[in-house]
Amino acid sequence: MRVLTLAAMAAAALSTAAQAAAPERVQITGEIIDTWCYLTEIMYPEGSAHHQCAIWCAAGGIPVGIKGDDGKVYVVLKLGADSTSVANPGVLEIQSHKVKVDADLYVRDGINYLTVAKVLDDKGIVNLTHDEYGIQPFGE
Amino acid sequence: MGKFIALAVLAFGFASPAAQAAESWGLPNEEIVRFEAKVVDILCELSGDCPAKCGGGKRQLGLVNDAGRLILPLKNQVFFAGAADELIDFCAQRVVADGLMVTNRGNTFMALQFVRLAPDGPWKKADRFTGKWAARNGFTAKGKEAKRWFDHDPQVKDLIARQGKLGLGPAADKDFLGE
Repeated sequence: MRVLTLAAMAAAALSTAAQAAAPERVQITGEIIDTWCYLTEIMYPEGSAHHQCAIWCAAGGIPVGIKGDDGKVYVVLKLGADSTSVANPGVLEIQSHKVKVDADLYVRDGINYLTVAKVLDDKGIVNLTHDEYGIQPFGE
Repeated sequence: MGKFIALAVLAFGFASPAAQAAESWGLPNEEIVRFEAKVVDILCELSGDCPAKCGGGKRQLGLVNDAGRLILPLKNQVFFAGAADELIDFCAQRVVADGLMVTNRGNTFMALQFVRLAPDGPWKKADRFTGKWAARNGFTAKGKEAKRWFDHDPQVKDLIARQGKLGLGPAADKDFLGE
């Protein structure tokens, strides 16, 4: 009887964990960004003015995100079948682009994480910020 | 060069080489923290997709503290570099993480400055990215290329050559910069 009780408790715990981990299927539209520069506001962090820095940061392994049109930041953990997220070549290729993605969303401890199944739309870089902000952060 | 160093200190935080405890970088709502946590592959933690060895350094790594909170380290102590190279050697192990917890724009995340195997392993400054990058790319860790790795990284050079610094193509760079 005690074994059965323990087994039931373990099953319940596993079920709760599975429920907590279940993602939500979402479509997110926004700009691919470098999370560090955007979230710390240490420089102007968007569009063409920040593209080179965003490439540096992504190649250096800083998490790449999407600044959603809803104002939220989403950290990208996977793109298509490629589950790498440190200097991922596919993500680097579309850095600073305005995109619409179909993805699974996991929210954990206040951070939004995405596993992107597919990029549904890619408008390229449409946020032309360099005339106002130059090239961040060093001006060259 | 002076401008570069000043901006770098302001923007990316250069801790004194002799320092062992975290120091302020002047970031919004920053808090100096030191805590024990387990190093995890974040994608594995969230989805159950768990390759060997936390993905071998190609995945973002997180820190799960004793309260079960998953903490996202965004940064190490190297210009334009993240924390995966600092944490991968501690995959699935308990560490002491030392650095800054920052809350801004609705997100709380960490800048990792030092790490050691819990409870009392030797401290490692979170700048080992430089040596690992140099080894991956055929440079010496102390060389000028490693110091400004972002100017010499083959992936970066290829992208900037094709896309331009503005991402709008080389012709747009030429028009804007007069190069």
